[in-house]
Amino acid sequence: MPKRYHKSNIWSNRCFRVNIPPMGIKYLYAFFLIIGSMAVESRPISYSGGSTLMLQSNEMQNSTYYHYSPTYKYSLGIESVNSQYFNEDYSYFRLTYLLNRKNTKNSQRNLYFQSGISSDGLDHYFYGVHGDWETRRLFSGFSHKETQTQTLNYAEQYLQLGVAPYIGEYGDLHTWLMVKSKHNELIGDWNTYPVVKFFKGNALMEIGYTDASEWDIHLMYRF
Amino acid sequence: MKYLCLLFLMITAVNNNAQDHAMHDMDNHNHEGHLHDTMVDGKLLEVNPERFDNFIAELEGKQVAVVSVSGMVCDFCARGIEKTFFKDKSVLKLDVDLSGGKVFIAFEGDKNIDFEDIKNKILSNGQNATDLQIIKI
Repeated sequence: MPKRYHKSNIWSNRCFRVNIPPMGIKYLYAFFLIIGSMAVESRPISYSGGSTLMLQSNEMQNSTYYHYSPTYKYSLGIESVNSQYFNEDYSYFRLTYLLNRKNTKNSQRNLYFQSGISSDGLDHYFYGVHGDWETRRLFSGFSHKETQTQTLNYAEQYLQLGVAPYIGEYGDLHTWLMVKSKHNELIGDWNTYPVVKFFKGNALMEIGYTDASEWDIHLMYRF
Repeated sequence: MKYLCLLFLMITAVNNNAQDHAMHDMDNHNHEGHLHDTMVDGKLLEVNPERFDNFIAELEGKQVAVVSVSGMVCDFCARGIEKTFFKDKSVLKLDVDLSGGKVFIAFEGDKNIDFEDIKNKILSNGQNATDLQIIKI
């Protein structure tokens, strides 16, 4: 039998929360429009029936990636790439599959397989794995991706660690301070730089900057 | 070096918050009347009291399903729960209590709430529903 609850109880809020004044999601929308084209490796699969738009811009490429998730286990999408390194445009038909997920009360761990075939032909494709583990306070993520083109093959990796300076509640503006270390065989050495990530509602923005590779920007909107 | 400084600032921020929490727990405040003292079907109702109070405002005569969810660690990942449940016309209102790991779902007072259906909806978002408490307001 359900228990009848009387609202007359007076409670104190025991939770430690920092409510950041809402910046207004319209500013995020405006930022989306200003930045133009940019894909985020995090959150590569949406909820069942959901879709996501991701934009990415870094020293290698600008890309726009839209994916649809028939179930929470995989997503299918198209990524339009403007490669600054190869000075060419192409698209990827992408598949991301959730290999493993571990949910606990206070954490979630994910391991994904990612792949894509280029519109250039079957001899241009990529595949790899990426994973993350996060609590409301801490985040860690990694990725390894192998790309083969008509002319060369190369690998990319990254490691990312983050901490939330405050614990936001549902609907608040959430902030993460992160350190990302990235390596691309085409460029050379590992490059480590700070990243800040903000998200509110269905919008997410991640910005990193380094003297070596300049801006690394990820934007995402979930529909 | 600047990255080490940044890392130090991050660790300091986390540590300060942990200390604040520890101070709160040591505080001799009275917990009487808190929601966690309320029993539902023999179990403590562990939610964010303020959030729950706000949620049930104007829900007189309705039922609220308090669903415990594992893996719900971020706002952005929980958004799909809201979208999935609002496809169900019998859902009147929904909120997510991230700190308590709970989802509050309001239904009409005579609605037969099916935990299996709720589990499936939560799973379609990639999380697991582990418990259900139903409260008549």
